[in-house]
Order: sequence, then C-alpha cells, then structure tokens
Amino acid sequence: MTGNKNNIYFDNAATSWPKPEAVYRSAEIHMRSAFGNPGRSGHTRTLAADRLIYSVRERMANFFNIADPARIAFTLNATDALNMAIKGLLEKGDHVLYTAMEHNAVLRPLARLKTEGTIETTMIPCSEEGMPDLDFLENAYRPSTRLLIINHASNVVGTIAPARKMIESAHQKGVPVLVDSAQSAGCIKIDIQADNIDLLAFTGHKGLLGPTGTGGLYVRPGLGLKPLREGGTGSQSDLEFQPENMPERLEAGTLNSTGLAGLLAGINYIQERGLGNIHEYEKKIRAYLYERLFDIKGINIFGPPEADRCSCVISFNLGDTDCGSVGHILESRYGIFCRTGLHCAPYAHRSIGTFPAGTVRISPGIFTTTNDIDYLIKALKEIATLAGI
Amino acid sequence: MEQNCYITFFSIHQAIRAEKLLETERYKYKMVPVPRSISSSCGTALQYKCQDITTLRDFLRERNIEIDGLYRVKEEKLRTLSVEILS
Repeated sequence: MTGNKNNIYFDNAATSWPKPEAVYRSAEIHMRSAFGNPGRSGHTRTLAADRLIYSVRERMANFFNIADPARIAFTLNATDALNMAIKGLLEKGDHVLYTAMEHNAVLRPLARLKTEGTIETTMIPCSEEGMPDLDFLENAYRPSTRLLIINHASNVVGTIAPARKMIESAHQKGVPVLVDSAQSAGCIKIDIQADNIDLLAFTGHKGLLGPTGTGGLYVRPGLGLKPLREGGTGSQSDLEFQPENMPERLEAGTLNSTGLAGLLAGINYIQERGLGNIHEYEKKIRAYLYERLFDIKGINIFGPPEADRCSCVISFNLGDTDCGSVGHILESRYGIFCRTGLHCAPYAHRSIGTFPAGTVRISPGIFTTTNDIDYLIKALKEIATLAGI
Repeated sequence: MEQNCYITFFSIHQAIRAEKLLETERYKYKMVPVPRSISSSCGTALQYKCQDITTLRDFLRERNIEIDGLYRVKEEKLRTLSVEILS
C-alpha cells in the first residue's frame, strides 16, 4: 500500500511546506553567487554577505517591532535560542517558572540544570484545553524567581497562552519573561514593544517560511547573557573572551547566510500577503477542519474548539486506535503527511489527558485548501470504518 | 605618500548600519579591510578623505552608530608610515 502519489502535507507545525517560490530562489541565488563569509575578511564578497545578514536582521526587527536589530542573535532554530536564553541567563540558586505546555526544548535544559543543583523550577499546570492556570502563577513566584517561560502557542493543540497577562504579572514581580514563539511567529502578531517581551525565541522554518537551520533570539537591552557558544566573530579578534556587544555576544562561528537569505524571502512573502490576512486564512482553515472532523464517528478532538484561541493545529484520536497506526495508514494509503505521538511535549499531553498514548496532529499551512481537508476527512472516515468504530 | 582616514566599528552590524545611513548622503567613502596597523575591530572599516572626517564622524554619532576608533593613516607602498588617533 505504499507509493501513493498524493502529497498532502499536514505537518506545518513541524516544518512548513511548501515554501513560497522566492524562498527557494533566494537561498539558491545566495549560494551560487559565492558570497563570502559574513563578518570575516573585508573584501566585497564578504561585504555582500554582511549586507545580506544586516538586512535580514533589520527585517526581523521590523517584523517583531524590535527597536534595535542588533539585539537579535541568529541561531540554528528555536531550540538553540531557548538553550541560549535559559543557560545564558540563569545562575546558581535561581528559580524558574514554566508552563506545562512547554516543548522539550525548554523542559530538557531546565531538567538538566535542576538535576545538577543549579536551579529550582515550578511548572504552571494547564487545563485540558492547554490554558495555563493564572491563579497558580500568581502564587508561584519566589524571591529567587529569575525567569518565566511561556509557550506562546502549543505545538500539540495550538492553544494560545494569555502571554500579555502573564508578562504583566511577571513584570510586577520584577521577573523577565522568555517567550517561545516556535508555533506562533508568522501566524500570530508578536510586538516586542507592545507585548513587553524580554526574550523571544523564534524559528525560521515554520511560520516564517524560511529554510531549516535558521532562527533567532531577541534579548532586551540591559539583559546580559552568558554566551552558549564562544569563538570567532570576525571582530575584536584581540579580545581573549567573547565580545560583550550584541549580536556578537551570542553569535560565534559562521552564520547560516544561505538559510538566512531564504528566511528573508519568507518574511517578504508574509509582509506582502499580510500577517493579519495569513492569520485570518489559518483561522478559517482550522475552523473548517474542526467542523469537518466533528463529523467523524468516534473521534476525540483535543484543545479549544474556537479557532481564534489557537494556532493552526488540531490533535485528535479515532476511538481507541493507535495514533501511530492511523498516521501510517494516512501516509501509505492516502499520501497524507501528519505527525503522531507525543510531539516532544509530554506535559502538554498529560494536561490534555493523552499521555502516554499521544495523538494524531494535523497542522495545515498557508497553502492548505479546503479540498485538502475534504480529502483528509474522506480518508479518516474510511479508516474509522476499517477500525470498526 | 598618501593619507587616508579610517573609522572602525565594534561590530560588522554597526559598520553596515553606517554604510546604509551614508548610502543616500553626499559623502564619498569606501568600505575596506581594516589596516592591521590600527585596530582589529570588526574587520571592515570606513575609509574616507581626511578633510571632512569630523563632519562624517558627527553624522554617524548623531545617529547612534557605535564608533570604535577614528584614525589618520599615512601610507606608502602598502606600508603604514604613521597612525594618528583622532577623537
């Protein structure tokens, strides 16, 4: 039953596909025109690469309404940025608050620091819909609390956290906030200045439509981080230690300029189509998907029903079937790609009541059509029948 | 012998920012590798004719460009004869 010719991609929460045509072109043109190593040497090809990096940084700053683009360090992805923030900020004795919806990109760095005796942590429980318990948060601060980490939109159920309220609460206690925007950037508006975000981790290859290997960390002015990596920056080479100034503070080694060239085209696409229009389109698609899924006998859908409370993700199970088997049939028989299992977010699944079984996750993207969804529904109905539901 | 003035920057980000700001201005400058005799800085310096250097410096400072150093360099046959640090 393999070799189905359909190619219906419902795994945009893992990485978006397809990318806008310009993203492929931009990365290819960059690589072919033999740009130099950004920041190294001083010849014109290096300068061309420098100008490219500069414009991507400037464009990212514009996209997130960041006043000083130099406060953005480019990273490999959101995981890299989260590690940079967590390990760069926290000192021995610090206490950290985080939500149960966090991805392993947050949970695992925290677990290690905790086990090593460096930090203490408190997890903010979340409802079955994935909403953090704000009353719990209010009472969880300690004098040693140094950081609150917010999963902006859940990769399992899409639930958008009440980030502004949580940031306000943390700031009242003098606690900086790290926002993980892996699932929200490019879908939900993020305004660093209006939202008052201290640290923002983003990835380039999901909603921002760029290639893998791109991402970044915004660090509020005045917040100093220890570097996660140290090495060449092409600047102040006589210094024994990593320079203090951003972005070099956090950027050691050659940047992924080819990837960033692609990312720039992704951001261009989003700004041309309009972030608001993209969000509206995704809400429409998610609402349609939710409504159609509801038709399927024996289905359990998780997360909030309302599309405006979510990013473009839906998790479900068909009766008591194994989500992995459903995912396998979707691909082998119907050519539909989705993600099943725990999605690197064990406590999110505990919150929604699907641990350890996991769920089938459908994550449409900006190129998904209602026809694609109709085809998925037809497939799921047949699978439900096959499973005797 | 020729004489050039150089403005160096702590980071390439600031250097390119300076270049972007100057793009639309009347200044005639070049982005060049930093002469070894002055500073390691960020590898790229802004080379400019010396008579108007303070105007250019002020233009950049007013726009919050972080300048590392300002130098007058006398050069001959690819060698540095003298370096004067300006403020």
